[in-house]
Amino acid sequence: MAKVGIPRALLYYLYYPAWKAFFEKLGAEVVVSSPTNKTILNSGVSRAVADTCLPVKIFFGHVMSMIGECDYIFAPAVTSLGNEAYNCSKIIGLPNMTRALIPECPIILDPEINLEKGRYHFYQSIYKLGRYFTHNPFRIKKAVEEAWENNLAYQSVMFDEGLTPVEAIDRMYQGKQQPDSSVASAPSLTIAVIGHPYVIYDEYLSHRLIHRLQSMGVKILTPEMAPEKALYDAARKLVGIPHWSFETDIIGAGEYYLEKKVDGVINLSVFGCGPDSMMVTFVQHRARELNAPFLHLSLDEHTSDGGLLTRLEAFLDMIKWRERICV
Amino acid sequence: MKAYLGVDVGSVTTKLVLLDGSNEPLTSIYLQTRGNPVDMIKRGLEAIRKQMPLEVEICGVATTGSGRALAGVMIGADLVKNEITAHAVATMSCVPDVQTIFEIGGQDSKIIIIRDGVVTDFGMNSVCAAGTGSFLEHQAERLNIRIEDFGGHALKSENPARIAGRCTVFAESDMVHKQQMGYPLNDIIYGLCQALVRNYLNNVALNKEIRPKMAFQGGVAFNKGIIRAFNETFRTEVYVPPYSELMGAIGAAMLVRHEMGSNGHRTKFKGFSVSQTEFKVSSFMCKACPNLCEISQISANGKVLSRWGGRCDKWERAEVK
Repeated sequence: MAKVGIPRALLYYLYYPAWKAFFEKLGAEVVVSSPTNKTILNSGVSRAVADTCLPVKIFFGHVMSMIGECDYIFAPAVTSLGNEAYNCSKIIGLPNMTRALIPECPIILDPEINLEKGRYHFYQSIYKLGRYFTHNPFRIKKAVEEAWENNLAYQSVMFDEGLTPVEAIDRMYQGKQQPDSSVASAPSLTIAVIGHPYVIYDEYLSHRLIHRLQSMGVKILTPEMAPEKALYDAARKLVGIPHWSFETDIIGAGEYYLEKKVDGVINLSVFGCGPDSMMVTFVQHRARELNAPFLHLSLDEHTSDGGLLTRLEAFLDMIKWRERICV
Repeated sequence: MKAYLGVDVGSVTTKLVLLDGSNEPLTSIYLQTRGNPVDMIKRGLEAIRKQMPLEVEICGVATTGSGRALAGVMIGADLVKNEITAHAVATMSCVPDVQTIFEIGGQDSKIIIIRDGVVTDFGMNSVCAAGTGSFLEHQAERLNIRIEDFGGHALKSENPARIAGRCTVFAESDMVHKQQMGYPLNDIIYGLCQALVRNYLNNVALNKEIRPKMAFQGGVAFNKGIIRAFNETFRTEVYVPPYSELMGAIGAAMLVRHEMGSNGHRTKFKGFSVSQTEFKVSSFMCKACPNLCEISQISANGKVLSRWGGRCDKWERAEVK
């Protein structure tokens, strides 16, 4: 049975259940790289050009960790999912960069997903991808349907139960229940964490930000826990038609949660992210307009988390102070 | 007499302050950390013990600064507080109408925005240290003058040289170039001060609404050149509070006084004998997963007091024996 390797990085957090269902329906076995660790980070950093952002470097590390463990690596070039919104150039060029930087990489499955080019182009891309495993177009169609079903199920698990992607994936495939011990019985504050899913949910990259906040007694809201349509509308209201695919997750979610009057909004970015440098500024200005607590955290390769903790603690102190709870 | 001890362990300096029951400093000490916080905390405690009045009873201890966790474990702190809150509390008590606090330390710099007696926003420098004390110290060394004399030179400048302050590396090459072109030392030094202030305002204070009254504190507030640059930028007097370098420690002591007063607990302070205790800081590599975290631990008399540094809480949770 052919083995398809899915790196646990970048778009994994958005589409893993769909991808897994698609490949399994076509009779392939799906393997996922282990969660990001120091070895993965180091090997990714050693190959990547310095200018790329950390999540992309981490992606390369994940690919390298799976060499010899699979026959294919799945690295789609997701250019656009329609609505005239595009992904960042590093995501669009991902398969080509992977091929250039990791020559020893197994065969790369690199469908181009660009809904701006119309349905026919999309069908062709998927069909071409399916042909690696079957020549029967009906089986490929079935696999796409299965993928779509799983994607909907995944989104509703996150939305209905307020789970993060990592928690939702655990729930779907391991039946793991939420460890409720980490969350204090009655969270005193509600904070929205916005940012790219591959930044906020990669526990190594984010220094377990979500976990830390939860153990400080904070209830977390993330973009996945809000209705997609509402995020899109919020982004449109603030900046017009989104240009970047992640604009709904950052500007949209920022505006949505600020309007909802959560206790505070934290944006988690990585150093050197081009789109973020624009998007975060919009949210920052909006937060100031509404006089709402907003914290922007920029991460890079730091392994020490002292600076992050200081900012988090001060932010929570500030919110409590503003609400006159205590100092 | 009841007194409260605040300990601020920064990256470059360690500050200890003893406050009396009405928030007045009884005695204080300011030391260079020199990369050895454990020794400096011990020396600081010893100095406080020698300087303080005899009839003092320590009723609460708080630590702050980047070494706050380590200091807290060593001396038995009742409160471990981040430096932003500590600075804000201290400044608001001595400058009640303050609306903006500039704090520039050795390794990091902060801005704190206050409205109606409440912190409403803050910012800290990101990856770059170009807007901090260590930048100035490094440049002073290059110019072969003592950092203490830096301000004096800056005040004498009449035509400051424009120096790129965005990045230490750029600043340095720009400075060397200006030296070669024959700019007087004073003008280069004041140019550096302006560059630091510009960098601070464009990075740390970006998108923050700066309103008077402005307080300027932290170790760099000793530098008259920076004060001049701030004053000229804002065309108004930036206020430097008394004990500006001790604000973090004072704030910590004030917070612990408040807390001990409201909960009625006895202090966990281990006493001044801590300065005689032999502490051992060591580290090892955890091999439980591929992260290979460097775990640091501090022990006293062969007994491990605390461990930290892991990506997960395996070692922090582990029973300390």
